[in-house]
Amino acid sequence: MKFKTFAAFVGPSVFLMFLFIAAPLVSVFVGSFQLTQPVLDQIEEETCTPGFLAQTCTTTMVTRPALDEYGHIVTTTEWVGWLNYQRVLNPEAAWAAISSFDWGALMQINFWSALRFTLMFTLVTLPLVIGVGLAIALAVNNAAKSIRGPVIFVSLLPFIITPVIGALSIRWLFIGDGILTTALEHWLNRDIAMFAQAWTIELMMLFFRVWHVAPFAFVIFYAGLQTVNQDTLESAIIDGANRWDRLRYVIVPHLMPLIIFIALIHLMDTYRVFEEIVGFTSQAHVISLQWLTYDFLQPDDAGNRAFGRASASAMLTMVGIVVLLIPLLRRTWRDHKGGSY
Amino acid sequence: MKLKTLLLAGALSAVASTAMADCAFENTVPLRSLTAGFEAWNAVTAAWQECGNIEPELNQEFRTVQPQAFAANPSLYQIGGVSNGTVTPLLNQGTIRPLDDLVEMYGQNLSPNQLIRINGQVMAVAMMVNTQHLMYRSDIFADLGLDVPTTWDEVLDAAAVIQDAGVVDYPLGATMASGWNLAEDFINMFLGYGGAFLNDDGTPNVNSEAGVNALTMMMAMTDYMDPEYLVSDSTYVQQQFQQGRIAMANLWASRGSAMDDEGESQVVGLVDAAAAPMAVAGAAPATTLWWDGIVIAANITDDEAAAAFRVAMEGLDSDMVEANNDAAIWLVEGYQPGRLAQGAIATASAQPAPPAYPSTSQMGLMHTALGNELPAFFTGSATAEEALAAVEAAYTTAAQEAGVLE
Amino acid sequence: MSTPRALRQPLGLRLTFAGFLAFWCLLAAFPIFWIGVMSFKSPVDAFAANPLDVIFGPATRAAGNGLSLLDIALGLLVLVCTVRLAMRWLPRMVSSYSPGGQMIFGWVIASVGYALSFVVVFFVILPALLGVLNPLLGPLGHPVLGLTTAHYQSVWIENAFYHNFINSLIVTGGVVTISLTVGTLAGFALARSGSNLAFWILILALVFRALPHSVLVAGYLPVFVNSAEILRPYLGDAAPTLYGQPWAVIAVLVSINQPFTIWMLRSFFQNIPNDLDEAARVDGCTHFQAFRWVIMPVMWPGVITTGLFSFLLAYNDFLVTSLLLDQSNQTMVPAIASYFNRETTTTDQVEAVAAAVSITAPLFLLVMIFQRQIVSGLTAGAVKG
Repeated sequence: MKFKTFAAFVGPSVFLMFLFIAAPLVSVFVGSFQLTQPVLDQIEEETCTPGFLAQTCTTTMVTRPALDEYGHIVTTTEWVGWLNYQRVLNPEAAWAAISSFDWGALMQINFWSALRFTLMFTLVTLPLVIGVGLAIALAVNNAAKSIRGPVIFVSLLPFIITPVIGALSIRWLFIGDGILTTALEHWLNRDIAMFAQAWTIELMMLFFRVWHVAPFAFVIFYAGLQTVNQDTLESAIIDGANRWDRLRYVIVPHLMPLIIFIALIHLMDTYRVFEEIVGFTSQAHVISLQWLTYDFLQPDDAGNRAFGRASASAMLTMVGIVVLLIPLLRRTWRDHKGGSY
Repeated sequence: MKLKTLLLAGALSAVASTAMADCAFENTVPLRSLTAGFEAWNAVTAAWQECGNIEPELNQEFRTVQPQAFAANPSLYQIGGVSNGTVTPLLNQGTIRPLDDLVEMYGQNLSPNQLIRINGQVMAVAMMVNTQHLMYRSDIFADLGLDVPTTWDEVLDAAAVIQDAGVVDYPLGATMASGWNLAEDFINMFLGYGGAFLNDDGTPNVNSEAGVNALTMMMAMTDYMDPEYLVSDSTYVQQQFQQGRIAMANLWASRGSAMDDEGESQVVGLVDAAAAPMAVAGAAPATTLWWDGIVIAANITDDEAAAAFRVAMEGLDSDMVEANNDAAIWLVEGYQPGRLAQGAIATASAQPAPPAYPSTSQMGLMHTALGNELPAFFTGSATAEEALAAVEAAYTTAAQEAGVLE
Repeated sequence: MSTPRALRQPLGLRLTFAGFLAFWCLLAAFPIFWIGVMSFKSPVDAFAANPLDVIFGPATRAAGNGLSLLDIALGLLVLVCTVRLAMRWLPRMVSSYSPGGQMIFGWVIASVGYALSFVVVFFVILPALLGVLNPLLGPLGHPVLGLTTAHYQSVWIENAFYHNFINSLIVTGGVVTISLTVGTLAGFALARSGSNLAFWILILALVFRALPHSVLVAGYLPVFVNSAEILRPYLGDAAPTLYGQPWAVIAVLVSINQPFTIWMLRSFFQNIPNDLDEAARVDGCTHFQAFRWVIMPVMWPGVITTGLFSFLLAYNDFLVTSLLLDQSNQTMVPAIASYFNRETTTTDQVEAVAAAVSITAPLFLLVMIFQRQIVSGLTAGAVKG
């Protein structure tokens, strides 16, 4: 294919990705090395605010930003090197905690505790999603033809439902005197508060993610199972392979590309875990890397946002994802060189 | 049956559209407003719509958009709804206009108490005050022969009695959801113990005696609370009250009327309100005063501003208050305080009076730092001093980044 | 073909599989079923601690809203008949009455008509009929199951949720159409080109897909709000404010979705034999003609599957739509979040549950209709690499 034709075909797609993804990304990258501050004045200000019947007036020193002739806030932007990264990573405190083996102190630093949870969450859900997805696919594939349709339909529900709604629907079952908490209390005969400690919340979040994503893995594995070579299976039987051997030596190798595909998608999606933190309001106990970025960007009542630290933590999240993806990317490179043609 | 309800709904909306006549003038300038979305704003914006040509946007996350939307030229909204916290970025950017002329021309119904003045200039018009007050189950208190507590120590004593009597699941409720709510509760308690957030040089000062006292008291409260308090926001506490699961809570005044809502509440008529408890006897109640009100954008024409202000005033008249008397503690003429408003009024008019929540950039940063770092203390992974030191460190970083601290 | 003896399974294994499947289906459906139940109850019942109270709804029943055994039986009968007719009778009617090549329109008209008549039968004729029958039947006619549609009424009628529904349709429709148009072109070129540039575009796309969205979205907001001021020097007074515009949000969602779309479609095209378009090229077609006349007719299974994923992304999106759309253009998912963020009463919360169920219903339908295409589309090769 000539370059010109190729460019015409991919042009619109690449243009969109550059405008709406690459351009913001570059500005985030640049922003992570910069600090933009308003020029502030200290002024004395008298403020009168209402009580129920009469006003109270107080005079205080407040800082107000200076405005230019167009009414815009005057700001200064400086290159600050790694300062934003240092503020996010807090390397001295982290190093002190590591060298004295003080796990609790390390977890007091937001970034490291977010990294701990994000990695744990990603690596624990990965095998679970693949395992559960594969198990459902095998079970459905073995089921009678007549019930396959309805079962596939029900199985897909957790995947298609809006994530926010899915998380809330599970949250309502457990929060306060939610019916499942009450049932558990009844069964174990003790008082249970699912949202009172970190490990139960983490458990619910893990459950939600597996519940939500396993159907995706299932439907892809199921599609893959339809193309398993029957001849190979039969010759395996003639060779005396039992069920387990057939699964291990015929079916799983056949599904291997799909397993890698799922792993790839799952790593990317789970590493930026965010909805669970919001849906289960877990930020008192556990936070994730994307939530940390989001929190820096969320303006407080006074309109302050931490753009510099947000950019730095976003870049750090990206670096993490790329590191996780390198083995998979190398495989893609080999495939590419080994030849689509 | 279904058809009948449909017809009824249609008829109702027809009534609503003829109700436009209630507005004193017909608005011809297209206007848009951005406000928060709670009950009082529903009432006010509905009254604005009677004047026609206004598109109100009610959005509880408005603070994400409002500063930037007002900074655009022309501003995307003419009218803004703010509280003493969220007015700060608009004041900083200078994107809201002084209202003195407009008040003189169209604001005859306003009382001087409603005019928010900065250096003498009217910058906003308040419509309601909000504060925390102590709501309690009057039936339980009468049965157990308890007096209404006035200090937090008395609250703990009463909670212990109620706990022993075993009449409710948990004696106390509190809005201690991590983040904004928890920080707000700490700020109330901290000020109640006489704390000051900043030193004169602008460095933080929360790791002090008042800070430790406040955290100790809050931790003592949690013994009597639902162990899931770190996710309990105002709605959750209100629900616990309505379902009869708690006996006391220091809750927002705007939540009061929900206790007597027969469709939701199982404790109709059984909840009374008193002033917010004091942290130290003889001091001001441990709470802050808030106001909610309207501002007018600066980046619009004077005609638009005049129309916007006139429409805004139509929403803040005694007709609206009469129709929605219990939706808030209104500052508008014609307001008749109900039974559940008494606590808030006692709080606001206490001597010495509780301070207004300070609207400064520094306070915004401090609020965020508190909300992010204090949960560690309540989950047990840090001591009070460690948590407060973490707050100071987080504040210092954020303040240096924002340029308010060297 | 009968299953070879050795492939047949012992009873124990079959039971294990069946038990596992039943357990999984329960797990998959229960939370969704439960919010469905909650949405029909009064606030007191919906958040009751006892599950039986939630199901039978004593407070709802006490308020005079309930179903008798007869109501339930007749209602179920109508529902079952509706589904059966839709499965058996409707496809035959469509294929015999619609003119050749116009099947799609036939389906659109038939399904709209069918849905309308269902609404009339279920919500108008049936209640009227039951209103007469219930008092005549004594104990069978007494309400046993509390159920109220009040929350749906206030969501759809008073709070004008149909507005959000239409906005969702606009945004979702726009995203799926544009995303597939742009994506198929790019996917085709990437599948047919072995150049290093193609490889690096794919890798970059992969990295883009991994980006945390909150970073991107926060970058858009100031630009979108101020776009009129920024663009005025170039466009004069016609410069638009992008904030709140559905088409601006469509563009953003299409871009965010591009990486996944082009990867997926590329694998589809790789499984369409190269010889096909090579032959067309030998016959003198340009690349584009070859694509239009040779590839397009055979690419639909893959495109439908990819389209479904685009649909889900656009329909379920919260982060982008909540931040960049104003109230009048708000889609359904952020609209329901505003129910929660508001200083909510318990009634608001149950209304939010009703809204949540309303959002889920179209997804149900979609999966029912396209279930087979998803599996066959994936089998056709989207997932080979």
